Amino acid sequence: MSNKTTTTHDAPSMRTTPPVSGRLVLQWVFFVGYLLVFLWSWNKLNMSVFSFFSDLGNVGNLFKRMYPPDFGDMGRIVEAMVETIWMALLGTVGAVILSYPLALAAAHNTTKSKALRALSRGVITLSRAVPEIILAAIFVAAFGPGPFSGILALALHSIGMIGRLFADAIETATEQPREAVISVGATKRQTTRSAILPQALPSMIATSLFRFEINLRGSAILGLVGAGGIGQIISESLETIQYRPALAAVLVLFVVILAIEIVSTSVRRSLIGEAANLQLSAQRYSFLKKMFQRRDARVNKAATAERRLSPPWTSERLFRTTMLASAIVLIVAAIVTVNVDWIRAITNFDQISIVLKQMLPPSFSGERSNVFTGLIESFAISVVATTLGVAIALPLGVAMARNINVRRWFSTFMRMFVLALRGIPELIIAVIFVSAMGLGAVPGTLALSVTVAVFAAKLFADTMEEVSPAPREAVVSVGATRPQEFISSVVPQFVSPFVAHFFYLLDVFFRSSTVLGIVGGGGIGFLLLQSIRVFEFQLTTMIVLGVYLIVLSIEWLGLGVRRLYR
Amino acid sequence: MQGLTNGMTSHGGFEGDAVVSVASLSKKFPNGTLAVDNVSFDVPAGQVLGLLGLSGSGKSTLMRLINGLHQPTSGHVSVLGAVIDECSPSELRDARRNIGFVFQQFGLVGRMTCIENVLVGSLGRLRGPRLGVRMYPKALRVKALERLERVGLLAQAFQRADTLSGGQMQRVAIARSLMQEPKVLLADEPVASLDPESSVQVLDLISQIAREDGMTVICSLHQVELAVGRTDRLIGLRDGRVVLDKMTAGTDQESVMSLYRRSGTAEAEEARVAQLA
Repeated sequence: MSNKTTTTHDAPSMRTTPPVSGRLVLQWVFFVGYLLVFLWSWNKLNMSVFSFFSDLGNVGNLFKRMYPPDFGDMGRIVEAMVETIWMALLGTVGAVILSYPLALAAAHNTTKSKALRALSRGVITLSRAVPEIILAAIFVAAFGPGPFSGILALALHSIGMIGRLFADAIETATEQPREAVISVGATKRQTTRSAILPQALPSMIATSLFRFEINLRGSAILGLVGAGGIGQIISESLETIQYRPALAAVLVLFVVILAIEIVSTSVRRSLIGEAANLQLSAQRYSFLKKMFQRRDARVNKAATAERRLSPPWTSERLFRTTMLASAIVLIVAAIVTVNVDWIRAITNFDQISIVLKQMLPPSFSGERSNVFTGLIESFAISVVATTLGVAIALPLGVAMARNINVRRWFSTFMRMFVLALRGIPELIIAVIFVSAMGLGAVPGTLALSVTVAVFAAKLFADTMEEVSPAPREAVVSVGATRPQEFISSVVPQFVSPFVAHFFYLLDVFFRSSTVLGIVGGGGIGFLLLQSIRVFEFQLTTMIVLGVYLIVLSIEWLGLGVRRLYR
Repeated sequence: MQGLTNGMTSHGGFEGDAVVSVASLSKKFPNGTLAVDNVSFDVPAGQVLGLLGLSGSGKSTLMRLINGLHQPTSGHVSVLGAVIDECSPSELRDARRNIGFVFQQFGLVGRMTCIENVLVGSLGRLRGPRLGVRMYPKALRVKALERLERVGLLAQAFQRADTLSGGQMQRVAIARSLMQEPKVLLADEPVASLDPESSVQVLDLISQIAREDGMTVICSLHQVELAVGRTDRLIGLRDGRVVLDKMTAGTDQESVMSLYRRSGTAEAEEARVAQLA
């Protein structure tokens, strides 16, 4: 061995590789097991690598038929677009209000009772198991068409993500501040407010805004089942094969989503206080930067001199407060101007119990084998789409992370690129793929892969930006190159959140795969929508129950596997 | 010790046997803070230098300037003949291979085993990225175990770093630096987040290694009592400027403590320090 110069002879028992632990074996068993499930799903769907290119060609051809867009009915499009935005905003606000107590009850560091935690986790998971478009269809049956059904559907469905991520944010708050606050004799509520909330708040705000962006795309689709918004125009145009007006509506939606996403991201960053977006954008104009710095220095100095008892009005604080105020103004505006008769909506709320009665008890209504085939196909679609999407998303996420790339403009460019792709709702992508390649699970899977890729890339990039800089600096200081630093200090920190994200993605996109059938993209969705259209609500419940069971199994498996890779 | 006789060299110039040379070094941050203000000193080979000062006095920034984690606004730093602030990225990597850096927050990856964290120290001499212990040559793995043995943590080699106590983590971080076989060791507040017992242990370990290997050490501290007896020379910083530079031998703790007293005017303070030196 070449180590004769360095080995000391009194160390023959030294082993230089890690001992094989049960945990390591399990990690490998799980990894191989997942690969097998993936291959089985791949075969089940008759996927083929060779047809990828001809499929892409078909998609390209369709775009030619949609071009040029026909903006003839712009007034109606704008009106519907505003309704879509209000629906998304109010749906998100409703979900945040409902999620906060649920998350507190679900987190182990705020709730002692195991039963209560399990119950609230169950409620959170249940709300995600029912796709928003299905909820909307049911509410339309109860309250009639209109945005109220959409808002309610979005609010209830968003609890699934917001509640869970809120709970995660609360649970990842470090223990020491909580113990410190408890030790001065604070009550439970004071502890939550002073020790946990300040740590969780940035993540919670980021989650809410992120969900608002998702809901904007979600609310655009709800028109397919009559819940108002721009989706109605898109679906009407598509059903009558008027591709050009449809593209016009899609483009408007795309541009608006892009604009809102840009604002939302900057608000998110400024509220998180990560050196403030203001400073970032100011860096491009050095005179502005100097102006802000000079002003802040003056304000800070004055604050110290006069012994201010509240934080000084630095540019950042001014910016942050303005953003908060605008958010409040927007929400009030939405409540006042949205096309909902709130008093009627509240007084008629018991309408829902009539529909609920028709939904029970769940029954297969003679469709037993179709339900099983559909659910299995949906699961296979979600496994393949998530895996393919994540494979694309990993390099994208690295390229988008600002702290990894030396060239900031490159990550900014990649972010813009992914952001632009994210602007197109998943069912719209599915409609395009199905129109180009024909009905079936393969176009559905490919469309979903695209959605997974852009969704996950952002998630991965955000996580990578949160990686602790201390180990990175330590690795740099030994004289490592950038790739070495990335592999040795960023990747090991990324493994555990990656596994968590993967299961989250599987969760989210299994749910998506169950509605692909609405546009002919395979899976259980076709039967699901059919059951609502023919008022077979008992079958609807049975299918939703099946979906819920699978989502629950994914989450349960995810909890175990997350622990395994922690 | 050689360092004891060569401690007080002229400021600014590049002394023949100076291993670390800091010349008129200043660092102003974009937010306007002048963290390091015209600092000059030379550290001869084998000297153990204690860098004293309150938090915010510029110690950390100075340390970071010395191994190129920050770029100075003006002035120069040279280590082992390499002018750090003028190095190209690859020259900087070469220079860093010989400079160990111990951080206050350890800089370990909690998910990785201790041995893998130590192996990271050899990355500067390897080509290409590594993930997992098995990707490092066996000779290096054996060496990593020896380094862990030296800091007394051989038994914890395959334990995850996040299962260790603070003092143990810092010893792993020292083992990581030793993996570089550094000629210079920079320790930035290595014991500031440790309990008193671990602090003494870690500092004794650093000074013992420095003596055995003839390493040049710059160690920043804010507890004077820890510096006395373990260093050859003390430099005090206040508001980014050098306010004290003297050999440790014969220095009593009380006189150095005046560095920390904020009573009196700045001039009086400087006069007292000048008197001291």
